[in-house]
Amino acid sequence: MRVASNAARLVSQVLAGEVWPALADRHAYRVGPDGQPFALPGMGGVTLGVHCGDPATGYASDHLEPGASVRHADSGANMALQFLTCVGNPVEVTTGPAAGAVGHVIGQHAYVLVDFPDEAMAGITTGDRVTVTATGQGLALTDHPAITVKNCSPELLACLPGGTTADGRLEVHVAVVVPAEAIGAGAGMVSEYANTDLMGAYAGLGPDLSLGLEGLRIGDIVALEDSDHRFGRGYRGGYLTIGVISTGQCLLFGHGPGPSTLMSGPQEAFRLVTDPDSNLASWLHAAPEVSR
Amino acid sequence: MTGQASQGARAVAVNLLGLVEHPELGDTPYRVSADGRPYVPTGDGGIVLGLRLGESAFGRDADHAAPGACLVHPDPAARHALTIYSCIGNQATVRTGQAAGARGVVVGKRGELGRVVVSFDQQDLARMRPSDQVAVRTCGQGWRSPGFPSEVTLLNTDPAALRWLPITVDGDGACVTAGVRAILPSKLAGNGIGRPAVGWDLDLQLGGSAAGGGRDGRADSGAAADEDMLLGDLVAVSDLDARFNLGYRRGWLTVGVIVHGASPLPGHGPGITPILTGPAEVLQAAPDQAGHTGLTEAVLRLLTVAELLRQRRATAACRKQV
Repeated sequence: MRVASNAARLVSQVLAGEVWPALADRHAYRVGPDGQPFALPGMGGVTLGVHCGDPATGYASDHLEPGASVRHADSGANMALQFLTCVGNPVEVTTGPAAGAVGHVIGQHAYVLVDFPDEAMAGITTGDRVTVTATGQGLALTDHPAITVKNCSPELLACLPGGTTADGRLEVHVAVVVPAEAIGAGAGMVSEYANTDLMGAYAGLGPDLSLGLEGLRIGDIVALEDSDHRFGRGYRGGYLTIGVISTGQCLLFGHGPGPSTLMSGPQEAFRLVTDPDSNLASWLHAAPEVSR
Repeated sequence: MTGQASQGARAVAVNLLGLVEHPELGDTPYRVSADGRPYVPTGDGGIVLGLRLGESAFGRDADHAAPGACLVHPDPAARHALTIYSCIGNQATVRTGQAAGARGVVVGKRGELGRVVVSFDQQDLARMRPSDQVAVRTCGQGWRSPGFPSEVTLLNTDPAALRWLPITVDGDGACVTAGVRAILPSKLAGNGIGRPAVGWDLDLQLGGSAAGGGRDGRADSGAAADEDMLLGDLVAVSDLDARFNLGYRRGWLTVGVIVHGASPLPGHGPGITPILTGPAEVLQAAPDQAGHTGLTEAVLRLLTVAELLRQRRATAACRKQV
């Protein structure tokens, strides 16, 4: 992105995490939109075969977290890991047979979500330790003071197409524009943690549940209409939030594929360009097995 | 599929114990408002004095303040059960402390860890202290009103309270109509969306005047957003299904009771405890911005008197048998 920023003033911190198990309780089932009970994998552990550029929906899964799901065992250290880690930060596996493999952060979902190449992923399992080199919180765009940036590494910012326009706006390329009606679980939470579930993407269910979002892909850069994520996540008419789809398929009602927040500000501070190639796979997470 | 009992099944009452909550804050006193202003939250849980049903939901500089005392339980699973099974209109009795014997009525609940909001007389509230024990006669969750069309789900409501709320069933039993203060669009549904409607409230993202921040210019929906709402009011949200989790469903309607006031936090605001949900063809809302009357202290008194009469009759019947 052609834009002036304070990237040179940011520091990097070395953070530790471990690949966290999937969690369940003895009742097993949760409940879908029409009351259908389900027990489906997706959250926690290492979810194989789904990468940036792949469809977000269409899996027998709930809260699909592509790649490795990472936390820290200490609650304070975990919040530092979750808050400070940014999309695009590099993550290196330090223990187990995949030690040395390097992936990238694609978002947060109460876990830090890390996409690795499938051949590396095959050797990673829960309990494996990783090192995150965290950079990006505090990133600010010098010529766009109305826009708040968060969870965005300087490397990702540099990769994004667009930038400052002649009339002083910030041009951002987005794959999809999301209506405010789609905002589900995550509303009212801080925007440096977890993500915003989008409703209306329950592939294969009734038309009364659809908001036309079934075509979302993991890694898509999206714009959320009437959303203000500068100080947490809430509705504000005339504001835009830019995010990256970091989680996929959900059956739990009121949930869905979710963007991690990248930028937020008044609508007039942005110029949106619809661009189906605006996806992390185009820059940070090449997925050669996917024809695009 | 509604997850409720079959029609005609009798409601079961279960006595549960709650403890009056003490408010909790983190290591920093500050939260950050939707406009980026740090503020110290007041009124968020515990015993709130002087705030009553019928007051404006925007009338206090506070954060999620509810009218009365919030009940919790030290065991998280018991706390969830207390929250899920407690229904609007349930009777509560203080068991310990200076207010022992005082009676209150459940007016709603709040989500995440779980809280039951109970309205008491102000003089009783003033004598209550955090950790006082309060017995709640929980009753109503999963009960189906015999007169309702099968598509309409009733939740979080004591069967005895239903007749005192502005809810009517038309002559042939085909349609339920709720009198409400306003009908809001689903895009204003905030915190609580995606969570189970039997245990959470749903915050309406209407800019609060809390903590002196003004209305924050957040609500531009044009749907009564600038009009007042009172604690205890019934409010409808269109395109929202609350049978299980709360979520978007086109052509659906959910009605709830305002259980707490506004919040400066983004994504938060006055909260409703959902009581009715169904397809818009069979569940309708009749808005009356000026004249609406929802859950009031007068209704709570009627419910308490009815409960005392029921107990007296039960005692008399028992004596007769002896």
